[in-house]
Amino acid sequence: MMTDERLLELIDAYGADPMSWPEAEREAALARLKAYPARFEGALEAARQLDHAFAADTMPDAPSGLAERILADAPAQSPARGAGLGARLKTILFPNGLRWPAGATLAALMMGLMAGVATAPATADDGFQTDEEAVVYSALGYDGLEAYMQEVDG
Amino acid sequence: MAQAALVNRHMPVVWRVAFRLLRDRQEAEDVTQETFLRAWKMLPDWEDRAKFSTWACTVAINLCRDRLKKKRPVLVDELPEQTDPAMRPDQALDQKQAGERITALVDSLPDRQREALTLCAFEGMGNMEAAEAMGISVEALESLLGRARRKLRQTLAEAQEA
Repeated sequence: MMTDERLLELIDAYGADPMSWPEAEREAALARLKAYPARFEGALEAARQLDHAFAADTMPDAPSGLAERILADAPAQSPARGAGLGARLKTILFPNGLRWPAGATLAALMMGLMAGVATAPATADDGFQTDEEAVVYSALGYDGLEAYMQEVDG
Repeated sequence: MAQAALVNRHMPVVWRVAFRLLRDRQEAEDVTQETFLRAWKMLPDWEDRAKFSTWACTVAINLCRDRLKKKRPVLVDELPEQTDPAMRPDQALDQKQAGERITALVDSLPDRQREALTLCAFEGMGNMEAAEAMGISVEALESLLGRARRKLRQTLAEAQEA
């Protein structure tokens, strides 16, 4: 049960934005806040000021070329062990499995496969370890894959 | 390549966490590279492991802790409430820019409080994932966050009064 004391603790630790509060307690905390707003005004205002200060914090971008340097250290994905490694990577990249909206998927697959047949070199040196990976990249391209991964993560 | 997708997706967060904790671009880069080197070694046995982002942040934080301990030959764990004497909050307040000021204030916090704020307030990580990445309980994480934010609020309020 959410109490005044607990809600003040949440504001104290996580700030004024309810989206920063623990998901398991958010709904109850918001209900408490809605029922007794005056009790939390002071704490919320103080937390909000700090949240705004955090927003002003400056953060430089990652050094250019760092991704390339990291990938230069990555192990080569040989066909012999590639299926295993590819499967691990797929598990990490798609922790919930590949779930595609049927219509969009079919259209993307058809376009991608046609484009792939027309433009891709027919060699085994493309770095894809599974049919799914090859299809994802050929159908959606890298930007499309990124957007899809964000959607999967919700 | 799937490896590229993995790096492009997770490297920026690892680098930001390392940079916030170390405040040194080269060292943050070294930590980021080392984190992924370990990832490449772990991948063949990855099944049933933690979420990759959590695992990567755990490795990066531990690497940062090692480097900070070498810089300051004092056991950080033994002094959880002691602030870095190199940058007191009142000194930090002399910074003119608001961004620089809050950066300096956060840097003046004890290491564990800084880690907690970095993961939750700056990277938007959930409490359970952040606690797991730091190797502590959710209650301990909340305590660190609360103390950090109270200290920062107090310092900012004092600065405004001054």
